[in-house]
Amino acid sequence: MKKLTKYEIKKVFSGRGGRTALIILAAAAAVICFFACSVSYVDEQGISQSGHSAVMKLREAQKEWTGILDEETLAAAVASIREVTDTPDYNSKDIEKANIAYSRLQGVDDIRELLNHSFAEDFRTYDYFRANSLQPEDAGRFYTNRVFLLKEWLNSEAETMYSDSEKAYLTSRYEELETPFLYDYTKGWDQIFEYSNTVIMIMMLVMGVFISGIFSNESALKADSVFFTSLKGRDRAVAAKLRSGIIIVTGVYFIVMSVFSAAVLGYLGADGMNCPVQIIQWKSMYNLKIWQEFLLVIAGGYLGCLFLSSLCMLVSAKTNSTVAGAVIPFVMIFLPSFLSNLDIPALNKILGLLPDQLLQINMVFRYFNLYEVGGRIFTSLVLLFALYPVLTCILIYITYNVYVKKEIC
Amino acid sequence: MKLVMEGVTKKFRDWTAVDSVSYSMENGIYGLLGVNGAGKTTLMRMITTLIKPTEGRIACDGRDIFQMGGEYRNIIGYLPQDFGYYPDFSVKDYLLYISSIKGIKPAAAKKRTEELIHKVGLDKSECRKMKKLSGGMKRRVGIAQAMLNDPKILILDEPTAGLDPNERIRFRNLISELSEDRLVLLSTHIVSDIEYIAGEILMMNEGRLAAAGTADKLVSEMEEKVWTVSCGRNEAEYYRQHYKVSNIRHLREGTVLRVLSDVPPTENAVQAEATLEDLFLYCFGERSGEEVD
Repeated sequence: MKKLTKYEIKKVFSGRGGRTALIILAAAAAVICFFACSVSYVDEQGISQSGHSAVMKLREAQKEWTGILDEETLAAAVASIREVTDTPDYNSKDIEKANIAYSRLQGVDDIRELLNHSFAEDFRTYDYFRANSLQPEDAGRFYTNRVFLLKEWLNSEAETMYSDSEKAYLTSRYEELETPFLYDYTKGWDQIFEYSNTVIMIMMLVMGVFISGIFSNESALKADSVFFTSLKGRDRAVAAKLRSGIIIVTGVYFIVMSVFSAAVLGYLGADGMNCPVQIIQWKSMYNLKIWQEFLLVIAGGYLGCLFLSSLCMLVSAKTNSTVAGAVIPFVMIFLPSFLSNLDIPALNKILGLLPDQLLQINMVFRYFNLYEVGGRIFTSLVLLFALYPVLTCILIYITYNVYVKKEIC
Repeated sequence: MKLVMEGVTKKFRDWTAVDSVSYSMENGIYGLLGVNGAGKTTLMRMITTLIKPTEGRIACDGRDIFQMGGEYRNIIGYLPQDFGYYPDFSVKDYLLYISSIKGIKPAAAKKRTEELIHKVGLDKSECRKMKKLSGGMKRRVGIAQAMLNDPKILILDEPTAGLDPNERIRFRNLISELSEDRLVLLSTHIVSDIEYIAGEILMMNEGRLAAAGTADKLVSEMEEKVWTVSCGRNEAEYYRQHYKVSNIRHLREGTVLRVLSDVPPTENAVQAEATLEDLFLYCFGERSGEEVD
């Protein structure tokens, strides 16, 4: 069986198409890595810097605020912000002066962002300058505001969007967040989450091309007659095709994600992994640490790629068309994005469970997609991870049965 | 080894590709002769289990081949008409791969591959990519892959199609060599491919078995039906329009025609010795025109 699988993998990558697809993938991953690692830092002279020295300086500045984000620290942060924003230079129309003033804000910029969210006018509003008008004594309301704004929103704008039990669930999740939480420099993780969707989606689109060929190429090359008349042509050789598809997806996925993660975290730093995800996604209902979100992003992406690849294989096995198989990831990724613009609540519920969500788990962390099943409330994250391993197995089983029974006319 | 077809029929919607074919075959070479579209390939695809008959049964030593599954596939070798391959595999890699899907253990596969590469005369090309081979060389790889598992039933669908005369002769000899102790079913629309090597010939026409038997038996049915007619050029056109003419030879003194007819086409017609080619033309008429070699 190993030998058969090895040959199936060789079939995929021995051709120019397979190798070209890999080169395109590597190039795309490199470009995304470059953008993910692009961080700027404004120095004391107001000049914007980039490169690794900029990263180091930004990290050093933000590291000064590392620790438990309690009332005292927050008050100090507010004072520090006000110290800068109240100066004429900060509000100056002279860009150089404004930049020099801003350079003193960079260390506290992430906390400033959290303050903007916490003290927003309402749950859905964001005011970039909100923190500039706070007083140190406001710091005491930092965590309670988060719950307050949610409740206010659930009882007004979102009143009809959620059932009472869903509202209660959301509120309890917000209240259960352990506060005060840990703050640290998290630029590396922030960029990982920001760009992981793009990497995973591009990877899936490219993988769709060569995964789809595993079955349909037999027909396209007219090699299927010899294949199916062989001893193992209607059982083990078909299983080897499926196995090779899974191995390729697994191998390519983990190599690309490892290189991407290692490059970004290696360059920007992996600090802050024990901070709660709310450091980066303030409104998230998931009370998890950043490292846990990272693992879920990686696992979700893998599961999504595995599911979509299985679907590609099924379609190409059924239709004998590589194109039909390769189109599947495009449809499954871009159609939900288009449909989500329609903003129909019932449709959004369905969209929250489509496989594209697995490719962008960090977005799942931002949304309040809840499902009531048998009187219990489940988040989309739980359902996605419960549903798709089963669906993937079913697809693989169907693909096997479709292909072993294929007739060659 | 006995392969029996009983009323084998294959219908594609309202078109019957193979119609009630019954025949029994044992070890030896069988030539399946017919024009394009006669149903040869469909019949072969049923014998190789690639498609199931709509009606009828194919049995190997008394057992239904579709129920035998892997056991049957293990004893057949098949070279399809459109022999497909993996273009970026080398000859050796291709044969090793086919060995693995034929369930041949790696050590035995390596040995068998080397043997067959030598047998089909591709020693110098074993590392060449399949896509770089000539048509004849690809066909030789095709026959090698069919022989990998030392099949008891070897099915070759139009193995000489597209080959030049030299390659065709070479191929014919190779098939003859490989036919020992096995059943070989070889389809073709080229009479000379099977005339001298096939023990029995099955002639298919419009999905049906039009005639079957040894070459001598089939040719004997044509006795007193082949005539040589010498005439002028203008008369030749008359014969072409009213009779089946298997050959026309223009000479300085006139035209010599080979005419197929149950009765003498003219008083001065001379009876000629029948060939398989005459029978082919007699059975398939105009449709065989350009296929006859």
